[in-house]
Amino acid sequence: MELPPVTPPATPPTTPAADGLLPPATVLDRCVVGIEGLDSILEGGIPRGNMVLVAGSVGTGKTTLCLEFLVRGAERGERSLFLSVTEASSKLMQNLSTFEFFHKDLVEQGSLVFVDLPKAYDRLGLGREELTNEEIGIVLRTIRDLVRSLGIRRLVLDSLTSVCYRIRREEQIRDFMLRLGQELNEAGCTSLLVSEIGPTPGRYSLHGVEEAIVDGVILLSNSHRMGDILRILQVIKMRGTAHSHAQFVIQLTPIGLLMAPHLKGGQEGGT
Amino acid sequence: MAPEVDLGERLRGLPSGSAVALKLDPREYADHYFAVLNATLRDVGSETDAHTIYLTVTNPAAFVWTLAQALDVPPDRISFVDAISHIMMNYANPLPNATYVESPRALEEIMLRIEYLLRRFPHPREIVVIDSVNSLAIHNPPGLLSEFFHILLNNLKSRQVLTLVLETSEEETTGIEQMLNLVVDETIDVGRLGR
Repeated sequence: MELPPVTPPATPPTTPAADGLLPPATVLDRCVVGIEGLDSILEGGIPRGNMVLVAGSVGTGKTTLCLEFLVRGAERGERSLFLSVTEASSKLMQNLSTFEFFHKDLVEQGSLVFVDLPKAYDRLGLGREELTNEEIGIVLRTIRDLVRSLGIRRLVLDSLTSVCYRIRREEQIRDFMLRLGQELNEAGCTSLLVSEIGPTPGRYSLHGVEEAIVDGVILLSNSHRMGDILRILQVIKMRGTAHSHAQFVIQLTPIGLLMAPHLKGGQEGGT
Repeated sequence: MAPEVDLGERLRGLPSGSAVALKLDPREYADHYFAVLNATLRDVGSETDAHTIYLTVTNPAAFVWTLAQALDVPPDRISFVDAISHIMMNYANPLPNATYVESPRALEEIMLRIEYLLRRFPHPREIVVIDSVNSLAIHNPPGLLSEFFHILLNNLKSRQVLTLVLETSEEETTGIEQMLNLVVDETIDVGRLGR
């Protein structure tokens, strides 16, 4: 397969502040997510090279949001990689075909690449339940080599939680994430890491260490109103971005994820 | 002059981006309702490249669609957001030009369905009909409803969409009227037209 050349990450320009009162600010190069409402919250997108946790419980739309991020990127000429741990790529593509924004050509042309990580584990001989430091290094190098060789500008790991099941010690997870973040940032690759969370409020990852290391956290959750369930998106943190902390109701439609403000009806905690 | 003729003229003269409340008298509801449908779906809706998104909370989309067919409205000129059929357990035969919301309490979902239809079927002249504020008020507390109308109508205004809100008038000024007065540009009393 003939691969197109990799575009190097742009150098951040500096511009004077719009109101002329503040000192000139560095304008970060943004990775346009391609989801209108989300880009608007994030001042145009995720800072290029940032590693972002997409956290949420089951059925909140994490995988779909991540897939749209990749498809929109591939459409813009940014080669995108989906690293799947929990679900077979063939099944994911089947789900994707229900969305009007997805075109099979993107996969056939190599702009959108799917890799099943469990298959890679098998090939690398990583069959043990708990990964050693050396084996963690092999996983990291595999991801790095994929990103570099394919010129990947957007990456999704679905899910970080599943990877971390095999990395038992907190310091190993910290080290894995720091190194992964560094490798991806150096490659100018913006990444979304899917994180399952339990019902405990205020936690965005299984171990807690993950959310401290990443550059951003996008939380997807369910909210109840008079017995009805609303799907909510909220940006908890995004380094280098003066983002909104407001909650938005989301809907996964055939044309992509749509967002509307979460109505509170004059009540602080909603209804 | 018949109310529907006068109303059609009034609505055709409105600039894009207007938000208008159409006040119906409950004592002459059937006549007024038909006059409103005639004026909105046929007179304004028949303009070149006009497309109507009809949010129905009072009657199921199937009922309104039957009336629209009697007015010779082509199916590609109208899409429904039906927020009542689900809770009426009347969802067996969905219309192809309708999208169904589970409950009239799901106000954000209603906003998102309208947004979806605006993006999915872009037309130079978009009209959104909300039928009706009174039915929405049955299912939603006033604070939420005010916020809903404030956000939705401002959003539609910024996109140059003509929004028509149906309202059944009461003897005295109610909270609904006060709330609507804050967000619409004009209120047309259908019963007073043509007199």
